[in-house]
Amino acid sequence: MTAEHDTMTRTALKVGVLNAWYGESHVLHGMDFDVAEGEVVTLLGRNGAGKTTTLKAIMGLMEKRSGSVEFGGVETINLPANRIGRLGIGYCPEERGIFSSLNVEENLLLPPVVRRGGLTTEDIFDLFPNLLERLYSQGTKLSGGEQQMLAIARILRTGAQFIVLDEPTEGLAPVIVQQIGRTIERLRQKGFTILLVEQNLRFATSVADRFCVVEHGQVIDTLTRADVDASTAKLNSYLGV
Amino acid sequence: MALNALFSQLLIGLINGSFYALLSLGLAVIFGMLNIINFAHGAFYMIGAFAAYFLMASAGIGYWGALILAPVMVGLAGMATERLLLRRLAKMDHLYGLLMTFGLALVLQGVFQVAFGSSGLPYPIPEALTGGVNLGFMFLPLYRGWVVVFSLVACIATWYLIERTRLGAYLRAATENPSLVRAFGINVPLMITVTYGFGVALAALAGVLSAPINSVRPLMGADLIIVVFAVVVIGGMGSILGSVITGFAVGVVEGLTKYFYPEASSTVIFVLMVLILLVKPTGLTGRGIEATQSAVAPEPASAQGRERVALMVFGVVVIGLALLPLTSVYPYFIMQILCFALVAGAFNLLIGHGGLLSFGHAMFFGSAGYITAHAVKVWGLPPELGILAGVAACAGLAALAGAISIRRQGIYFAMITLAISQMLYFVYLRAPFTNGEDGIQSIPKDRMFGVLDLADTTVLYYVVLAGFILGTLAIYRTINSPFGQVLKSIRENEPRAISLGYRTTLYKYVAFILSGTLAGFAGSLKVFVVQNASLTDVHWSMSGEIVLITLLGGLGTLLGPLAGAFVIISSQHHLAEFGQWVTVLQGAIFIACVVAFRRGIVGELAKVLKISL
Repeated sequence: MTAEHDTMTRTALKVGVLNAWYGESHVLHGMDFDVAEGEVVTLLGRNGAGKTTTLKAIMGLMEKRSGSVEFGGVETINLPANRIGRLGIGYCPEERGIFSSLNVEENLLLPPVVRRGGLTTEDIFDLFPNLLERLYSQGTKLSGGEQQMLAIARILRTGAQFIVLDEPTEGLAPVIVQQIGRTIERLRQKGFTILLVEQNLRFATSVADRFCVVEHGQVIDTLTRADVDASTAKLNSYLGV
Repeated sequence: MALNALFSQLLIGLINGSFYALLSLGLAVIFGMLNIINFAHGAFYMIGAFAAYFLMASAGIGYWGALILAPVMVGLAGMATERLLLRRLAKMDHLYGLLMTFGLALVLQGVFQVAFGSSGLPYPIPEALTGGVNLGFMFLPLYRGWVVVFSLVACIATWYLIERTRLGAYLRAATENPSLVRAFGINVPLMITVTYGFGVALAALAGVLSAPINSVRPLMGADLIIVVFAVVVIGGMGSILGSVITGFAVGVVEGLTKYFYPEASSTVIFVLMVLILLVKPTGLTGRGIEATQSAVAPEPASAQGRERVALMVFGVVVIGLALLPLTSVYPYFIMQILCFALVAGAFNLLIGHGGLLSFGHAMFFGSAGYITAHAVKVWGLPPELGILAGVAACAGLAALAGAISIRRQGIYFAMITLAISQMLYFVYLRAPFTNGEDGIQSIPKDRMFGVLDLADTTVLYYVVLAGFILGTLAIYRTINSPFGQVLKSIRENEPRAISLGYRTTLYKYVAFILSGTLAGFAGSLKVFVVQNASLTDVHWSMSGEIVLITLLGGLGTLLGPLAGAFVIISSQHHLAEFGQWVTVLQGAIFIACVVAFRRGIVGELAKVLKISL
């Protein structure tokens, strides 16, 4: 599958020399990577390496950023965040971002539909049956796993074909992690492109086609899934485990 | 018959309650999205009523048209305001929003006062709603019944819109996490603009409803907004339904008070607020949103050694002032400046070093004036004891007001101090010893300490100057004491100060008492300068003036209050002939300070010279 995208598919996201700042502090120092359509790419790296910031910078949520973020051939570096979302990127933030003043249904229906061809609510309840049972509960009353399901589910409805997931397995029980892994696999089969940030190497290697290792706000190495077994030692040294 | 009167007071209560509910609802909606307490809400309410009047007078559009058009027009004006002014404050402390909208209210009210004077313009009741029905137990004027029912419908519609619709879900979500909602592709900045427009449109709607009942006046919203602040403090701003229910309930309580004990009708809401704060400091809904404690004064004071520079400059200024009687400058004018500089300095101690914005310092300034004037004139006490009485009374007052307000922070603290101060205003308005509107006039100028003849202007000048120096040095000493250091740490990070083991509430309380006492001292001195004690000095506009002087001079600076007082009092003197344009100018200065130079005159100067003043 990895050989296939190199030649056949188009680039979904192209990040070039991306810099970003939190106030005065310079966090991203020229991130360079791309994601092909239908591919699952993981950003790996230590705490504070700039993985989450990269996602936020792609989404236009950083106060100050420079460089280039091309999405589907459109340069987004100067677009406001709401226009970027409309291009068809579904964002699932760190700590899931479920709204406590909204119930599950409202949370699910909140992100506006940006493209045709999104999952219907039936498809979603088929994928995440738990949500149907808790439709009128307050969003933050759900368990961590259910909240993660909800956070993923609500962006699948919008028709976005490009999904950005920030640590979807953080703080979840192993059985839930497996479930999320299966969900990502199903999404890939449906043709979604996925960019995710992970600290959980085992989980990442089971779902991703490619890995970008991030250190000090730069991509220092890129590995394919085929490389992983051969480079375990190298990966461990990157991640400090 | 008596029952009849009871029901009609109840109806008036419900009508006032309608206005409270619509206004506090708008405030709550705006606060949710913008984190701003919209002080200009009363001004937009007034403009709503004026819009109805203009539509009638110039375009022949009657009540029913105005009921729709006026809110739309005011809403659009509100949206422009948000875009041009409020947006600049998005990432700043809530208090700056309060200050800017206060300035905006001054500008708007001032402009309408210039154009229409202070008296009211009539607005007729629409023909379909004239007359009334006899319900047996009371006569119900149709229009009044309409106001209550229509307001209720408008409130419920707003509640439905926010709590039950898709749009409302966007709004609630954006209140919680604006950037995520934006990432979903929703134009949150536009939503913020529309929300502000919607909030002030509700105020304008209340204005149109009120036009036929209360005549159309430039200041119709100015006093109302303070009552609405009290309502908001009582109900808390966490819930939409809460603010509606509280609004109506408070109106009814006020109506009942008018029937059973009319003397207290103008103060009952404030008393209610005080009682509720004593029992439940977070307000009824208990979800009071506290402003995150952050440094209002822009730059923390610099290194210790540099403080000396400020003291040296202060010394030079004092020497200049001491030599002043040798020149031909009118001392009366300078004495007034000194009094205002001292009260602003006292206020500055609280905000510049404790991060607490009191919007009620007029209560100390004015109360001390009344007590001193009364003590000297009626009791025949010598000046020094009169001053002592005024200062002691203010210390007591500060102890009481502080006990009520100090547990709340940020905008709530500002609103509570404003409400307490307004309550005292109504007390002084009615209390016999203050002579109501006339004030206490021609204060005798006896010999101070038996030797200083205050009738001699030069002697009086030196007494006031000495008082100013004494007060300012007391402030300087406080700021540079260990107590002042703790206060600073509380301003910068209260949770951290608590974790270090400080009882921060106690520190803030002591600072509040100190500040109130010093403000009282300034008020007592002023009595001998201006020869009267009047309602002006306890009015909310005086509190605003004290805030303005400090803001303009430079928050957290030693010399700022003097510089600010000089500019503001001179502009009042020189522009007196322009009447209400002075208010407009002051409002504009407020806005300019908040938008462009938050360090104030002295702060900016200090920055340029790289020293601490």
